[in-house]
Amino acid sequence: MITVDPVDYAVISQSLIAAAREMGAKMIRSAYSTIVREARDCSAAILDRHGNVVAQAELIPMQLGPMATTFKACAALYPVDQLVEGDFYINNDPFEGGQHLPDIFIFTPIFLDGTVIGFGATTAHHLDLGGGAPGLNSLASDIYQEGLRIPPSRYNMRDWGEKGMFQRLVTANIRVPDQTIGDLNAQFAANNTGAERVKELARKYGIETVDAVMAELLDYSERRVRAALRAVPNGVYYAEDAIDDDGITDTPLVIKVKVTVKDDEIDLDFDGTCEQVQRNLNCPYASTVSAALSCVKAVLTSADIPFNEGLKRPITVTAPYGSLLNPRPPAPVRARMEAGYRVWNAVMKALAQVVPEKVIACGYDTTYVGAFSHLGPAGYKIYLEVFGGGYGASAGTDGCDAVDGPLSNCANAPIESLDMDHDFIRVVDYSLVPDSGGAGEWRGGLGFVRRYEVLKEGVELNLYADRFRIAPDGLFGGEAGMPGACEVKRDGQTFRLKSKDKAVLRKGDVVSLICGGGAGYGPPSRRRRDLVDRDVEQGYVSRKASERAYGTVRQAAE
Amino acid sequence: MLRAGVEVGGTFTDLVAVEGGKVIVGKVPSVPRSPDEGAYNALLAGGVAIDRIDDLVHGSTVATNAVLERRGAKVAFIATAGFRDVLFLQRHDRRSIYDLGYAKPAALAERRDCFEVAERVLADGAVETALDELSVARLLDGPLATGGYDAVAICLLNAYANPAHESRVAALIRARMPHLQVTCSSDVAREFREYERASTAVLAAYVQPVIARYLDRFEGKLKEAGFQGKFSIMQSSGGRTPAEGMKRNAVTALFSGPAAGATGAARLAARAGFRNLITVDMGGTSTDVTLVVDGEPQLASETEIDGLPVRTPVLDIVSVGAGGGSIVWVDDGGMLRVGPRSSGADPGPACYGRGGQQPTVTDAHVIRGTIRPKAFLGGRMNIDVDKARAVFAPLAERFGMSLEEVADSAIRIAEANIVRAIQIVSTERGHDPRDYALLPFGGAGPLHAGRIAEDLGVRTILVPPCAGVISAYGLLAADYVHHETATRRIELKPGVEPGIREAVAEMRARAAKRFSDIGLEGSPVFDVTAEMRFVGQAFEVPVALPIDAMDTLTVEEIGRLFEVAHERLYRHGASGRKRIEIVAFRLGAGLPLEALPMISAPDSVGDIAETAAVTERRKSFDCPVRARAGIEPGALVEGPLLLEDSTSTIYIPEGWGGEVDAWYNLVLRRAS
Repeated sequence: MITVDPVDYAVISQSLIAAAREMGAKMIRSAYSTIVREARDCSAAILDRHGNVVAQAELIPMQLGPMATTFKACAALYPVDQLVEGDFYINNDPFEGGQHLPDIFIFTPIFLDGTVIGFGATTAHHLDLGGGAPGLNSLASDIYQEGLRIPPSRYNMRDWGEKGMFQRLVTANIRVPDQTIGDLNAQFAANNTGAERVKELARKYGIETVDAVMAELLDYSERRVRAALRAVPNGVYYAEDAIDDDGITDTPLVIKVKVTVKDDEIDLDFDGTCEQVQRNLNCPYASTVSAALSCVKAVLTSADIPFNEGLKRPITVTAPYGSLLNPRPPAPVRARMEAGYRVWNAVMKALAQVVPEKVIACGYDTTYVGAFSHLGPAGYKIYLEVFGGGYGASAGTDGCDAVDGPLSNCANAPIESLDMDHDFIRVVDYSLVPDSGGAGEWRGGLGFVRRYEVLKEGVELNLYADRFRIAPDGLFGGEAGMPGACEVKRDGQTFRLKSKDKAVLRKGDVVSLICGGGAGYGPPSRRRRDLVDRDVEQGYVSRKASERAYGTVRQAAE
Repeated sequence: MLRAGVEVGGTFTDLVAVEGGKVIVGKVPSVPRSPDEGAYNALLAGGVAIDRIDDLVHGSTVATNAVLERRGAKVAFIATAGFRDVLFLQRHDRRSIYDLGYAKPAALAERRDCFEVAERVLADGAVETALDELSVARLLDGPLATGGYDAVAICLLNAYANPAHESRVAALIRARMPHLQVTCSSDVAREFREYERASTAVLAAYVQPVIARYLDRFEGKLKEAGFQGKFSIMQSSGGRTPAEGMKRNAVTALFSGPAAGATGAARLAARAGFRNLITVDMGGTSTDVTLVVDGEPQLASETEIDGLPVRTPVLDIVSVGAGGGSIVWVDDGGMLRVGPRSSGADPGPACYGRGGQQPTVTDAHVIRGTIRPKAFLGGRMNIDVDKARAVFAPLAERFGMSLEEVADSAIRIAEANIVRAIQIVSTERGHDPRDYALLPFGGAGPLHAGRIAEDLGVRTILVPPCAGVISAYGLLAADYVHHETATRRIELKPGVEPGIREAVAEMRARAAKRFSDIGLEGSPVFDVTAEMRFVGQAFEVPVALPIDAMDTLTVEEIGRLFEVAHERLYRHGASGRKRIEIVAFRLGAGLPLEALPMISAPDSVGDIAETAAVTERRKSFDCPVRARAGIEPGALVEGPLLLEDSTSTIYIPEGWGGEVDAWYNLVLRRAS
């Protein structure tokens, strides 16, 4: 099946993957904003000359799909064969293949002997791109309120630099340009590093060989996915999940999927999903595809299959235009991750009917974003973090505690880093939440709480999250995980914010971001006694909760 | 002067003893349950008179194994109120993003053993909430009294900036419970990022009692045998410390094995005038590579063990699963792959005839002709060629190749894996490998060096004598080394020079005191590195400062040094206009040995003149074979050629040639 020399193939393909990994690592280490340098909310890839992703740094699953779609929107307007040295493509438009505005995709052509042999590509989540509120405008009712929209474009590095007109235009429209421009520079530099590595390979092995290896890498992923799909019985499977609400009314936003497996292909049809909404929970089509693909890949294939365009070939995804999962412009889309997670959950539940041993129960599976900002005499200060919660349990493992959700992979910012950088908030507690994981033969992962003391008057909090009301569902008798919450303690009183909300805080307020737990797998009655005892001894489950779910607790425990 | 180095590895314990010009080299099986026994046996088997040893240097995997096998101390962990879960929360990310059953690296303290004390120090060291000593007293009366702990690790927020609260908690515990080993995070890693610092402190506490007990036992046994010399231990930084020093901070022992090898290689090569090297240590299960710049193996400031971060100076060694026992396999997408799984020492490669059923790199060499059965390990090991061929047959069929071709392909893939590891320590760190010489060691390194060098554009290879025991030699060749770190944020502005000088002077004084505390005399040699970044970045770039010119060094010069380093690493940043800050300093203090012990050629066994049928890089030919011992210094050799000795085989590809130098190094160069 392999047409190139197997050694060349093994060597060059691994080198391409290593190049993407190096790009990602360097972008993180030279970035400025907490969201990129500590949370690592960014991705990197090598593309072939046609814009197919051949190798990616495995950083954020949700960002891995749209590399190709954002590229294609650029190349359709500005053909690859007309590019010159110094050109780059840039695009963050959710309606042109992108995700949400903060994720800016940049593509740097790799020239060798005057022709383009591929692209170095990166995306990073930028802290602030203007719009109606610092970092996050949770009440936006259209995309214009969400920030600067960069349509599919081609610029040249001449337009960048401190006097470059494109850079000046961007700088004038964002609140913390030092950080954002610094992060964009880290993207450009990472692209150049990737370009350098691909050029070295092409010089050594020849452009044709590298081309052939790139093509084979796509075929390789495709073969492995098809092989995995053939092992799944043919059939049609239905499932659904829902977002709490749209932030205005209390109506759940229902997402439905019909999964059709036929031989070595799979079709995911989201017909029946609710209409698009007025707030930022709309999920651009590219994000829907990314979420659905990520679930299929995670459930059906082994972890080491490279995520590239070949992987997509046997998988089709459709969602009705105008629905939550394929919205019409100018819908706001900032919180598209919540719908993405319900896509993940729905596809997972459908697959649970046919490959129960490979799936996991619902986790907290929510992107919980709190953006604190403060306008002082020296300008805006913005602090924003992205949190997950507990993972769902599988047939054989408890869910992972306190970790970012499956479609994302952001690290936390060290408390000591926040202490250095921010004088308007201080973290006073960061702890696991006992009893938050759903009971089961395998227990759901625990959620956690981060508690902030507000140190100045007039700090603004913009929030989006989910699963404050609809808890994550267990599988095969496992119990639901604990929902999340946001509480503000002021003058001895505690009040709750909604999952999509905004508040102006006072000095002395204590804000608790409570991220929920994952659900259990299998009936609690079948849980191993030693695990029941361990959970009580270590304080993961309280004695009372353990007695309720699993019966008597061993006396020696605790 | 009799010097002995004993290195306890997973399978073998190696000995190198040197007295005058005489070298004793030995290898005995390790005793995993009681490593000191293996070490002692090695001395006995080598016929080394223990009562005459002046200088004994020891390296072992005791600390590493205690972590990997979870056989360390029972540790209580103390954090700032609100943060006792830091060991379990970790960094909120996953190492494998599509693994649905993902589990975080398992912490070394249990959650029920994690406690809190009320206090808060801020990033600038100011005390926001004074230490509530009552909260400490409650721990002393309660869990610490009844918990049956061996050790306590303390990590309080921002203790890197002001360790007063940590020190006070430690003092209160020591006063009441002198038997408990207490480790403060600020003593083992004085840097920000609380999870990484807490992890380092807990690791130190976890291995401390194990190491202390082990060293006491070994020292006792040596004393019984009349040992009166100096006893020192290898550290992860590639330097040694007196046993007394190791008992204070055992976390520095975690990566001592690979560090000894790199140090030995660097010292040997420096003597022959090679100061810029890529060292390649290829053993049975993995290959470790390091970059040596101007005679010194490079340091990394962070690494991890079993997924747990360690923030302590450690040599920048990248390990890749490509050793002689690495398994050759085909994944379900049809790609030929090598490692990282290994057949280990037991059963080992199929050709060992000990039940190995999987094709390995060593089997591939046997098929390809680059290892001759009768010469492997000096002929001490029986090699079954038929078994090697049998396990490779399915691969040959699958790819439609001959056995020799598929074996050759497997070796090329293993070599490419090593090349990538070298690129991580060189190109990715902004160093061009073509400016370096390749120094292969370990049993299998010299077989692959030629082709690896070609892939990297390296033009010089140095094969040391006794390539199989370089790690044990490294123990003897290592200086006494101690590192100090200090987080001190200083933005580069005119007039801050005195603060920089003061910080460095303080560290010098601390290091000098440390040396005198552990009984070392003499004037240490210092080097200092500033960890720097543009204001707003989070990761620092190490910048070496000229320690002898600190008095006249200006901020402009420091800024320029930084911008050059940043540009080299990241390809952007050098504008001359951005704000720059120093975040931390790292000071190395070394006490060099008065004289480097010699290691020379093994006993001569005479030359041979034979040929072997070899398939290499798709070409089959009759390759001349000679004995390494038969090559006199100054005589020229030319590839293709196989050179055999008792610990390794050297393959010299066509286009390479060279000679043995005065120190018995084989120096190969590529014809242009």
